[in-house]
Amino acid sequence: MVKLLKKIIFKLYVLCLMAFTVWYGYFMYPLIFGFEGKEKAAESLLEMGAAGTEEEKMFVRLIAEQTKTKKTDLGYRVIDQPYIEGRFHHIGFTIQQDNASICVRCHGNVPHDESKEVRSFLNMHAFYLACETCHSRPDEGVKEWAFRWYDKDTGTITNNPQALKDIEKLYHTEQEISQYPIYGNYGAKVAPTLNDFGETRLLHGVKEMIFVDRFVTEQARLQPEQKSQMKKVIHRKVTKDPVPCKDCHQEVGPYLPFAELGYPPSRVRELTNVAVVNMIQRYKEFYIPSLLKPGGG
Amino acid sequence: MHEYRFHQVLLILIVLFVATIPPGEVQAGEELNCLICHKHRGLSRIDENGKFRLFYINNELFESGPHRRNNCQDCHTDIVRIPHDPAKKVDCTQQCHVVEPSGKARFSHKPIAETLAMSVHGKLDAEGKPKKYQEDYPGCKDCHDQPLYRPLSVFKGEPRSGISERSISRCKSCHRTGNFAEDFYEHVTSRLRKGRFPLETIEVCAKCHQNPGFLERHELDDAVTTYEETFHGKLIKLGSERTPDCLDCHVVEGENTHLIEAKTVPTSATNKANVGNTCRASDCHKKASAQLASFQTHVTYEREKYPMQFYMLMFFKALMAVILYFFLTMIFFELMRRLFPAFAFFKESKADDTDTRPALKDREQ
Repeated sequence: MVKLLKKIIFKLYVLCLMAFTVWYGYFMYPLIFGFEGKEKAAESLLEMGAAGTEEEKMFVRLIAEQTKTKKTDLGYRVIDQPYIEGRFHHIGFTIQQDNASICVRCHGNVPHDESKEVRSFLNMHAFYLACETCHSRPDEGVKEWAFRWYDKDTGTITNNPQALKDIEKLYHTEQEISQYPIYGNYGAKVAPTLNDFGETRLLHGVKEMIFVDRFVTEQARLQPEQKSQMKKVIHRKVTKDPVPCKDCHQEVGPYLPFAELGYPPSRVRELTNVAVVNMIQRYKEFYIPSLLKPGGG
Repeated sequence: MHEYRFHQVLLILIVLFVATIPPGEVQAGEELNCLICHKHRGLSRIDENGKFRLFYINNELFESGPHRRNNCQDCHTDIVRIPHDPAKKVDCTQQCHVVEPSGKARFSHKPIAETLAMSVHGKLDAEGKPKKYQEDYPGCKDCHDQPLYRPLSVFKGEPRSGISERSISRCKSCHRTGNFAEDFYEHVTSRLRKGRFPLETIEVCAKCHQNPGFLERHELDDAVTTYEETFHGKLIKLGSERTPDCLDCHVVEGENTHLIEAKTVPTSATNKANVGNTCRASDCHKKASAQLASFQTHVTYEREKYPMQFYMLMFFKALMAVILYFFLTMIFFELMRRLFPAFAFFKESKADDTDTRPALKDREQ
């Protein structure tokens, strides 16, 4: 019996050695003949060089750089941030993608472009407000929506972000300036929710997401007029005029219930402050007082 | 009426107070309240050329570099009101409000731009004529992002990265005003080491020197890929900070790093006559002979351009493959025999069988 056991162990040992020999041959192949990944990277660079028009080059570059990051090693700290071509100032954070928005599927997360004066501000809001928060309104006679935060990653309704609540502390410390990076990056967005038979759900929930995903992947098979039909249906909840800025940035009864959404009192005061409201209302006339400029006044 | 006068006096006092604040003590970015908007991470748009522009300013990181003494308007001079029009391209050669202590003149990067113009990266040739493919020649921002301090602490024993609070406290015993001690400490100790981690320097150079279109236009070899295959390149990929990057070999020791010259220029660090000296730089191979530097550093294996190198590579690859796989096959068969000691493709006759089997059994035992 012991002899048989010894024999089995010996055979297993030999089998392991054989497997190792095969694996070693496989492992050494790229070391001798080159790595596939390296060749692929070279191919991608060649493709970039061979691309014809500027637009084609840009597209190839974007594909190649889609996950590119930039590391800055200070010795005592490493700053890892997304790579943005031509960017001078450091970002110091990772842009969290919104995987749960059906609008972002086609429009991306920097969708506003029409109004030169406010496009950057609107895109700023798109960081923490779902598109339908401003671009949809409840139908007349229907119960008002409730606004809640949803997790950008999972798409589930979530609690008010702690990072948002923590802002309050900054108003009471000397460290306020160095803590600015917190603003806007809460990992969540505010979106309208409906109450379906006692259950709170997002206006654009999982069902809508699956529907739009299917349209995006299969639209090439549709006739042009069918595509138009589908687009119309998908956008039917979009109102002609979005919610104006002043509806939220006002002291009395703002459209978004900031306090309920977890905005701390100091931040609410700031958002609904007369200065902000005036700035929005008299947008183009808001000049910097020259007195406050160094060497000015 | 009394109350009205009181308000008037109060207003005048406030105005006088604000007007007498020295500009040097105003926090960066604060003077225009730029961060009211630029503190928001999503402030962004896609520009007319299709580029993603993020306007967020991370003030914590802005405050971690030498530019922290500057106000936003020192660089973005065209911004005079908010909301503002798209900012113009920053001219790094303009003077800012910071006074350079050694010469007591207002600071400017103009001397750096002048040095760059004399280098191989300058836009004009030796005769002052514009070089071909002007857009390929770098400006400041093509190589530099916002500089950050990389301070060192050498208070006790071995140097380490970061600030020494003990050292700072010593400075502060005399230099108490504002952030002078911190600024000075970080500025000086950051200069005791390389401004960038070597891997980052290589990434910067790779933007052009690994770009196929660029290489083709300027008839250059891929200097980055070939460097990465060297011993130096591999060490840097493994995280070494003591290994030379592009600048260590392409800039003469002690010279401004912006003065990279073509290897055909007699004063160039990579000129055949000077390569030995470059290798013998004070922190490198001090005892190196001229032979050490006689090899071709950036070896490319293009058959048409470098046939000798190409066929040598093929030969060594083949040699390595033949030797390795021959012995691996031998080992594999040897193991097979251990697994099946009596295995044979052709069975021998019974008479021979009686002779051989016991011997095999003995070997197995």
